[in-house]
Amino acid sequence: MLASLEKVLMPIADRLGKNKVLVAIRDGFLISTPLLIVGSIFLLIANFPVPGWSEFWTKYLGVDWELWFINVSRATFNIIGLLTCVGTGYAYSREIKGDKIQGAVVALVAFIILMPTRIPFEGVDGPATMNALGFEYVGSNGIFLALIISLTSVSVFNWAYRKGWTIKMPEGVPPAVCDSFAALIPSAIVIGLFFFIRIGFEFTPFETAHNFIYTVLQAPLQGVGNTLVAQIVYSIVCTLFWFFGINGPAVANTVFAPITKILTIENLEAFQAGLPLPNIFTDPFSNFFTGFGGGGSTLSLVIVMLLFCKSKRINQLGKLSIVPGIFGINEPIIFGLPIVLNPVLIVPFIGVPLINLILSTFATKAGIIPYTTGVSLPWTTPIGFSGYLSTGSLFAGLWQIGLLVLGCVIYYPFIKMLDKQYLKDEEDAKNNLQEEEDISFEDLSFDDF
Amino acid sequence: MKVLMIFDQVQAGQGGKENPNLPLGGKSMAIGSASMLEPALKEVNGKVVACLYCGDGFFKDNRDEVKLKMTAMVKKINPDIVICGPAFNYAGYAEMCAVLAYEINEKTNIPAIAAMSKENEQTILDYKDLVNIVVMPKKGGTGLSESLRNICSLARKKVDGEDISEYLKEICY
Repeated sequence: MLASLEKVLMPIADRLGKNKVLVAIRDGFLISTPLLIVGSIFLLIANFPVPGWSEFWTKYLGVDWELWFINVSRATFNIIGLLTCVGTGYAYSREIKGDKIQGAVVALVAFIILMPTRIPFEGVDGPATMNALGFEYVGSNGIFLALIISLTSVSVFNWAYRKGWTIKMPEGVPPAVCDSFAALIPSAIVIGLFFFIRIGFEFTPFETAHNFIYTVLQAPLQGVGNTLVAQIVYSIVCTLFWFFGINGPAVANTVFAPITKILTIENLEAFQAGLPLPNIFTDPFSNFFTGFGGGGSTLSLVIVMLLFCKSKRINQLGKLSIVPGIFGINEPIIFGLPIVLNPVLIVPFIGVPLINLILSTFATKAGIIPYTTGVSLPWTTPIGFSGYLSTGSLFAGLWQIGLLVLGCVIYYPFIKMLDKQYLKDEEDAKNNLQEEEDISFEDLSFDDF
Repeated sequence: MKVLMIFDQVQAGQGGKENPNLPLGGKSMAIGSASMLEPALKEVNGKVVACLYCGDGFFKDNRDEVKLKMTAMVKKINPDIVICGPAFNYAGYAEMCAVLAYEINEKTNIPAIAAMSKENEQTILDYKDLVNIVVMPKKGGTGLSESLRNICSLARKKVDGEDISEYLKEICY
């Protein structure tokens, strides 16, 4: 059965992993990820989840000290649309082997061309409008538009470039200067195209490309992604693929990354503004309440290996993997135990994160644990801390520990099966072969060499 | 067919990148990622009789010692075939695989093969004409189990002394 499953899954993984557009979307988000983490730290300092925190610092730093920190956090996640546009433009140029930085900036310019720039405000004489860039449009609401624009503009740019519609410089001109002239006509074509697109949208009821994409594409897709069913699919894809040695999250994120990113940033924006948090299924929720300790929530597995397994191999690997495991790194387990192509462990490897996902979703809905604030912590943050910092609730940290224990219970019978088999192997090696199970390099003869 | 496998610390189930200085060691049974190959080995009537291992950092620092001792140990255990790998895109381990497979082929009459992903460009360039290096995906890439089957059937063909020149073009670098 597993062989036929592999026949179905392999081409999917292959196609998703080699699709340049999807890879560019996934990798484009990786460019903004470190910035979101740093911005989150600033937001976390401004809103640290300890009672009396704000009042305490107001005494020393004055009223509105939080605004200093929010200036920084706003400069990262409130412009996620811009960052996405540049990141995807860069990654897509790289994928199609074009000029990366030129592709990134031409995408940014095209994005701004389509941006709604008449921003209404309440003037002294009543409602008025001004020409400005609004955070509303460069933030999470602009992510899908940014993706579409950067992919289109980079494609057009490179198409023109490859047609040879470039200005060629004589030999001896420095390469930087040549590149800049070579980009002139392709850039003009991209900019001209978006000039007409903007005008075109002004004749539609949507008025702007932004409104059109948001209403027709982003809002519906976001609605689909923001459901338990979609998250279950995501969780299964992440773990099932690992069984075949394929990095599951890398496959799943080609499709899910934009949606999860939007859900996360929406929570961050609400958290920053002090509004109710809208979404359950954010990045931190997925990292810290479903698949913590590495894909398959293997931290639980490592603990069982360490505490309850008697075969030397498993116990030793448990000892070696516990510290990396606390920080969510499970490579020693994936390849060393291994999880890959191991039909015994695949059941809990898929099951544990799935159960975590379902329990945590209901716990959040029932108000047992709070919604995640969207604060993006590194995925290596140890459990307990990560639950606390991503929600502001100590109980959420305890909830994680509870899930960890439950994970141990589920992994236990499966790893014990493997343990028994390994113990038997170790015994056999000792008894039947009448030789040491450990191979010693001490008494080797090198006479022949 | 008696198979001996040579691993780094990760594939041996002896830790991760943080444990590169694992000294030479071995077990007279299948350990770590050897179990990934077992189904494919069974198909060609093979069995892992021993696994030797060494951290990639240890190899880097003690190249000559590792070459000498690994080769001597292979000779002592006397398997039918030595598989160095699967090395995925672990650069240090991939190099160790190529170097040891070459050494074993040169110094003993036991055939040795290696397996690694295309990311190990320099090693492949340096060794592809000296050692049979089976193509396999990087870690997390697609096509792992097919490449494991290729490794095992190449092992079988080498042990049986079949003409493999066409087969090599298909599955090796």
